[in-house]
Amino acid sequence: MFQILVVEDDKDLNRSVCSFLNRNGYEAAGCLDANEAYDAMYENSFDLIVSDIMMPGIDGYEFAKTVRSLNENIPILFMTARDDFASKQRGYRIGIDDYMVKPIDLDELFLRIGALLRRAKIAASHKLEIGRLRLDIDERTAVYDGGEISLTTREFNILYKLLSYPGKTFTRTQLMDEFWDAETNTAPRAVDVYMTKLRGKFENCGEFEIRTVHGLGYKAVIL
Amino acid sequence: MKADSGFRRFLFSLRSYTAFFLLMSFVITCCMLLFLNMLAGSMEITYTERGVRLAAVVTFVNVIFLSLLCTVIDGVRRKFMVERPVRRIVEGASRLMQGDFSARIEPFHGIDDRAGFDTIIDYFNRMAEELSGVETLRTDFIANVSHELKTPLAVIQNYGTMLQSPVLTETQRMEYAKAITEQSRRLADLITNILKLNRLENQQLYPAAKRYNLGEQLAECLLNFESTWEKKNIDIETNIEEDVFVESDNELLSLVWNNLFSNAFKFTEPGGTVSAELKTEGDYAAVRVTDTGCGISPETGRHIFEKFYQGDTSHVTQGNGLGLALVKRVADIVGGDISVESEVGKGSAFTVKIRRAANGDTQEDS
Repeated sequence: MFQILVVEDDKDLNRSVCSFLNRNGYEAAGCLDANEAYDAMYENSFDLIVSDIMMPGIDGYEFAKTVRSLNENIPILFMTARDDFASKQRGYRIGIDDYMVKPIDLDELFLRIGALLRRAKIAASHKLEIGRLRLDIDERTAVYDGGEISLTTREFNILYKLLSYPGKTFTRTQLMDEFWDAETNTAPRAVDVYMTKLRGKFENCGEFEIRTVHGLGYKAVIL
Repeated sequence: MKADSGFRRFLFSLRSYTAFFLLMSFVITCCMLLFLNMLAGSMEITYTERGVRLAAVVTFVNVIFLSLLCTVIDGVRRKFMVERPVRRIVEGASRLMQGDFSARIEPFHGIDDRAGFDTIIDYFNRMAEELSGVETLRTDFIANVSHELKTPLAVIQNYGTMLQSPVLTETQRMEYAKAITEQSRRLADLITNILKLNRLENQQLYPAAKRYNLGEQLAECLLNFESTWEKKNIDIETNIEEDVFVESDNELLSLVWNNLFSNAFKFTEPGGTVSAELKTEGDYAAVRVTDTGCGISPETGRHIFEKFYQGDTSHVTQGNGLGLALVKRVADIVGGDISVESEVGKGSAFTVKIRRAANGDTQEDS
């Protein structure tokens, strides 16, 4: 069972988040400030941290920075009332993984925690498994039902990205920016060609499907 | 006492007397020199010393008299033409300063000398008009805010009380809890919007201009609503021209797109269509968000960008009447233009026009 640390100075909010997570299959521990959280982390190992920013004493940024310096991989999710871009930017620069603005929707928190944990697991094992499909990051290979499907590096990277965020739509430009060199003058439509190729190669794979979203972009849907 | 000193000051002042004296002396001396020189040259008149001395005294007295006359005439003129309008304006301004926004100044409509004052008075009256408009808006705003804040609070409180009752069926309990969640969400949206609007209105804002791809931003903003259109089964149409760049504050503009899309999805019934369009029109990029929702009557359309204005006064559709005020405010800040076309029962189309940046990659701009 995943252990989650909730650092939030408001007692009621802390308690409600913890009991919600506990009821949904996680084991959550609540701390009211950063020092308490350090103690808890000393005694227990956690899989994910949910933290406020504005707290008495050590604030969330400070706390996240310290945690990040000790553990590079633990997912940190900020849950804060600050909705300006500068605060978000500062958080992501420190190395947090997700950011939610209060008042938060508990169902959404649950979904995001699930996604963060899944990605953390992929990152730790360097493998992505969906049913009979297996992607190995180190070797850049895709194996389906025992047989290898040959992919170019770019095809592999795109597929890997889509499958790491199932259900999330990426625009062509987002994919271009990430997987094509900045200097190549390829039109965003080049992405379409890759999607066609990927769809062809995984025609027989019933585990996922690449969907076009209204001319806006692409997403992988796990079936 | 005031009137007395005013009288003396305006009908005869030493300073204007001296000025007129010097002016008269100068003018008359010049004229006489010219006149006498020409006379002496053409008629060969000789001056006797006595005659010149007498003429000098007479002329000097004449200058003194004319200066005095001019000073008094000028004083009288000033009294009527300057002092009176100034006093009237000052009175009006001080009334306005004390918070009487109904203060207006009656214009003179006199001879053209006063046209300058009439212009000032006209501007003053218009300013007072604007101010009283703002004042009404502020009073309305506070009334609206408290109404909008208190309504969901009252609902939450009521359901909270009802939940404490020990005799509740499971369905009732669920229903009440759901109502509480819904209302608090509404309250949260409202507060977020109030804070954002407040930040936009009170801060001296210098938008951080940055060149970026507008189509991409639109696509990303629209994708944030993916779960909404899937849930409501709304059809999406996109017609986004590629590589349209603008130089503007992308965070502020994303507020505009998010609000327009959020409205479009809010007012469109399941099975309807929401479309996003981006076109270039000369130097401008035009973004058009169209929905097939309930539409807006022309009457509502006129007020739609005002704070807390809701076409639907019964508040059946969730919302707080601040979204479009935010959009308008941002459009003003970034120098954009927003317009709405709508037909009741058919849907609405919001168009935002922003000046676009020179396209870096393709030089075929006309």
